[in-house]
Amino acid sequence: MTQFNDLADVERPLPVERSFSKPFWEATREKRLLIQYDRVAQAYQFYPRPTSIYTGKASNLEWREVSGRGQVFSYTIARRARPPFREHEPFWLALVTLDEGVNVMANVVGCTQEQMAIGLRVKPHWQPLSDGRNLLLFEPENA
Amino acid sequence: MALHDAAIVAYGETRIVPVSDRDVWQLGADILEQLLDRSGFEKGEIDGLILSSSMTGAGNPFWSQTTADYLALELDFCQTVDIGGSSPVGAVARAAAAIDAGLATTVLCPYADTAVAESNARGRAYNQEWTGPIGYLGPPAAFGFITRYYEEHYGLDYRALGKLAVAQREHAILNDLACEKLRKPITVDDYIASRMINDPVRLLDSVMPCDGASGLLITGRRAAEKRGLDKCVIPVGYGERTNLNAARPIVDPTETGHAAAGAKCFAQAGMAPSDIASFHPYDDFIIAIMMQLEMLGFCQHGQGSAFIRETGFRFDEDLPLNTGGGQISAGQAGLAGGGTNLIEAVRQLFGEGGARQVKDRRNALVTGIGGIPYGRNWNTSAAMILTPDA
Repeated sequence: MTQFNDLADVERPLPVERSFSKPFWEATREKRLLIQYDRVAQAYQFYPRPTSIYTGKASNLEWREVSGRGQVFSYTIARRARPPFREHEPFWLALVTLDEGVNVMANVVGCTQEQMAIGLRVKPHWQPLSDGRNLLLFEPENA
Repeated sequence: MALHDAAIVAYGETRIVPVSDRDVWQLGADILEQLLDRSGFEKGEIDGLILSSSMTGAGNPFWSQTTADYLALELDFCQTVDIGGSSPVGAVARAAAAIDAGLATTVLCPYADTAVAESNARGRAYNQEWTGPIGYLGPPAAFGFITRYYEEHYGLDYRALGKLAVAQREHAILNDLACEKLRKPITVDDYIASRMINDPVRLLDSVMPCDGASGLLITGRRAAEKRGLDKCVIPVGYGERTNLNAARPIVDPTETGHAAAGAKCFAQAGMAPSDIASFHPYDDFIIAIMMQLEMLGFCQHGQGSAFIRETGFRFDEDLPLNTGGGQISAGQAGLAGGGTNLIEAVRQLFGEGGARQVKDRRNALVTGIGGIPYGRNWNTSAAMILTPDA
């Protein structure tokens, strides 16, 4: 049976923060998930952008804290990767639909081949980065 | 825009190689000479340059001007098209628009990239923030998501995909300019057994990064006729869509901009999918061909596997597919790769397909795919219908 790597000991490249995504990354220091919400469109968006994908007005956006729970939208097994992930394959990559209606791309950890499926319920798994921020990953809700 | 008032008067292409020992500008010069020789034009008659972006040129923000300088072109119109794999077909539409607007009379469209030998690309995009830290490999992983989603929601016959891979490989074997390493027969069983890259995407689903160049010379249709050029290819329909459903947070990744781009292209040409004589779709992964068959209206969304099982795709069958092998079996010449299938379509309409010449050369449909966004399918979808000068 295939063993999937949870990549816990990989020194991950640090995410390059943009001026408009800073609140997202700052919140990860406390393992809180903030995503952008358009008050006028009454809808969330991800990844963080410099403006609203709905109305084109950054002034309509605010940050809201969400649970990070959701379900797998699609997934793939990375069999080959570039450094520093090379030699750590295979590992899971998934698109996860948060309950608020946005898709987030991440690794899924602690998940077997038998468990993985489109529709699998997942919850956040915060992976520490070397600079004090945390990276949003997911794990099965019933882990 | 009077797209059909433009005429492609010559095509050029180099051999596709795993790594080029010739500089990207030398490949461009090779294309220029082929185009001048085949069209009878003088270099001094070229007053427009519209080239595709390239990984090699990516570090230079003055790429079109620098290329014009190296090729010693004096121009009234000069630009790089940077819509990824849609750039070569997009360049034809932009050349026609420039000619129609009086910005230029004769436009050189070179597509050259030596991405393997020398990549200067540093993508300033979402990747550095959102996908680099999770070990995402880019296109193969994106197509892993797409393929798994397709299979779950619509059902997918992998042997049907294998049939497309085999047809393209047979064509590459008939194409002396295809990457030599790829010119070996494969079977559907070989396709199924090829190793997984990003499950369920296999090695034989994927393009091999290569180096190479191609290009076109485009002028006004009337000017071409005045010169007595008996071989011309006319763009009669074009559509382009970037960032389909940009204002939706979640999209079905098996729906692409080719539905909109194709509808516009077919309407402009006054044709329907059933009129298409040969099909030259952009192919970075095999499933992209099937998705385009669906989105362009050859069959319904979700019915791609059945359509493929019922259709012959060899050059001498129902719907000849990428008769030069496509990028998957001829090699992907970096960001110039979109030129490979475009030039093959022009070659076929010129009647110069040799051992792989299609019988019906009334028209050809060429497409482009460009850019891989976050969690969707691709940024730009393009479609163009070409006909011989009637």
